Amino acid sequence: MGKILCCTRGGEASYRTQDAAIALAKERGDALIFLYVVDTHFLDKTAAPIVVDVEHEVAKMGEFLLLMAQERAAAQGLEAQAMVRLGRLRAELVAAAKELGVDIIVLGKPVDQEAVFDHVALRAFAVGLEAITGAEVRIL
Amino acid sequence: MFTRMVKRAGRQHRTVFVFLVLALALTLPLDQVSSLARTQETSEEVAQGMSLSGRLLDTLGEPVHDAEVAALEECRVEPVTHTASQSNGSFLLDLPSGTYRALTIKVSRPHFQPLEWQLSEAELDQLNTSGSLRLPDIELERRITPGFWVATLSFVLILALIALERLHKTTAALLGAALVLGVSLVGGTINPNLFVYDFEEALGYVDFDVIFLVMGMMIVIGVIEETGIFQWTAYQAYRLSRGKLWLLVTILMAITAIASALLDNVTTMLLMAPITIQIALTVGINPLALLLPEVLASNVGGISTLIGTPTNILIGSYADLGFNDFLVNLTPGVVAALIVLTIYVILRYRKPYAEAGGRLSDAMRERLRQGGRITDPEKLRKAGVIFGIMLVLFVMGDAIHLDPAVTAIMGAVAMLIWVTPDIEEMLKVVDWTTLVFFIALFMAVGALEEVGLISMIATAIGNLVGDNLTAAILVVVSSAAVLSGVIDNIPFTATMLPVVGYLTRTIPGAESDVLWYALSIGAAMGGNSTLIGASPNLVTAGISERAGYRVTYIEFLKIGLPAATITVIVGTVWLFIRF
Repeated sequence: MGKILCCTRGGEASYRTQDAAIALAKERGDALIFLYVVDTHFLDKTAAPIVVDVEHEVAKMGEFLLLMAQERAAAQGLEAQAMVRLGRLRAELVAAAKELGVDIIVLGKPVDQEAVFDHVALRAFAVGLEAITGAEVRIL
Repeated sequence: MFTRMVKRAGRQHRTVFVFLVLALALTLPLDQVSSLARTQETSEEVAQGMSLSGRLLDTLGEPVHDAEVAALEECRVEPVTHTASQSNGSFLLDLPSGTYRALTIKVSRPHFQPLEWQLSEAELDQLNTSGSLRLPDIELERRITPGFWVATLSFVLILALIALERLHKTTAALLGAALVLGVSLVGGTINPNLFVYDFEEALGYVDFDVIFLVMGMMIVIGVIEETGIFQWTAYQAYRLSRGKLWLLVTILMAITAIASALLDNVTTMLLMAPITIQIALTVGINPLALLLPEVLASNVGGISTLIGTPTNILIGSYADLGFNDFLVNLTPGVVAALIVLTIYVILRYRKPYAEAGGRLSDAMRERLRQGGRITDPEKLRKAGVIFGIMLVLFVMGDAIHLDPAVTAIMGAVAMLIWVTPDIEEMLKVVDWTTLVFFIALFMAVGALEEVGLISMIATAIGNLVGDNLTAAILVVVSSAAVLSGVIDNIPFTATMLPVVGYLTRTIPGAESDVLWYALSIGAAMGGNSTLIGASPNLVTAGISERAGYRVTYIEFLKIGLPAATITVIVGTVWLFIRF
């Protein structure tokens, strides 16, 4: 039984990718793990004081979003796991893939402005990820 | 017995005194001792001599300090005497005794036109007769030097780097300040016109009231946020609204506005945004339909108190406005603006609110409930007591001569002693990078003051509005509102402080401080117009994006610009009613 790691942010734009990962896991009989990365580096842009434990708050939000994804999987007959990590997206994705020993990493296909990467950047990101982790990267 | 004790005490004092004199004599080098002696002799000579005093002002009526002032007799190259002007612009020239037939005062200072003041016959007569003369105030004209461009371009660089997100805000501000200092100190030795200020003068521009107020409030907020009070209130809003979205957004906006006024608007949004996103997903609506109204309310609500926004902290410290001043002069206008803003938001989002429908499971609702509970009731009770006392002290501050910065530090210390005694833990919540940012920003703005750019802006606005206070209010509000939408409102406000200070001193009627409130309204409400206009906008957009809901510049503009326009109009109308 293999492992599939699906990196997701939640939100409506992610539902399609989540569904595709769920379908893939069911088809292969693999375990599915949803990953949410808490990256708060956007706070560097602001000129105001930041005194709140933002990572903790965003992590709680991430757990909520992952619970939604898990319920989505459960509704389709799959029991998925969830994982929240703190740090930069790329570094944490690599670290999680290595720690879990995943076979496939699922990334979302950019469909609109909600996406983190455009097509070219995402393809390059996927190639780099495959080289580092040894896992197959699928853009769904 | 008593007499003996007094004598013994007297002997002890004499012994101590002799010991101190001996120690002083041993530690003072001989050349200093002789220097002291010379100074004493010179003072005696001067006491028998003559004096010439005056005051140097710039074109805005601000004192000019550290200017070189020299007195020259006719046909002599070497000055008779010279001195430097003091911080209040005054100078005192000690002239040797004699009869002066012609005397010229030469004034020179970087970034000012050199000036020669020829004493009139009447002035010379008075000097020769009475031995002293007080000259009328001397006005110095500014001039543009290479140092002017160094300071100006460095500041533009800071703004650009922050706006374009090329560097961390603190790094950008430090780079700007370091550039000015580096060029000033190193380049100034090659070309004196490159000199802007030395390090000591640069530090003189740092407003430590602001630094300590911000630092104290950071610790206080750091304790309060750990209690879960924000999440609890947001969850209660969800419960109370019972699925009515217009009611939910109204309560959330009210909570956000009040929290922003009492703490600060960035903290409020950082804590409210994650739970709001969860509530929005629970009720089946796009989170932006709740988040954007919240951030608009946060920017408006923060204006009502001194501690509500960083811009108010800057204004309050510079203009010496207290907590009550903001409360009395701005809160009614802010409440009116919030009511109008809420109506606008409900109308703007009426369709998504009507179409919203809950779609989550009981497990998700339970999760939301868990996230919206008070995490540490005991800590909340203690922190609430301290914060309540702080609010009383903020309000009474003027009456008992207690600066807001001192109140904030006292509150922080009380939190450290009673609520969270772990100093290491509490110092971690202090955002040191922001404090360094403020220090570097003050130095960079100080450079602009030093080279005269601020004077030019102030003079230009002064010429534009003349003596018309109404025009001045409109210019300050509108320029602050427009520019805050383009550049971050914190550096903008820091730059505008001396400008508004000049207008307040020179325009009849402006002594009511109305222009400071105009700046507050313009900078904070205007910040609602664009995504980059205010820090809460950016942090909210950042958190929203982490949930998969990106706020684009255009999307924010569509709701923010009308909201900013409406609230700025309401705020300005209030200023005209109040003043």
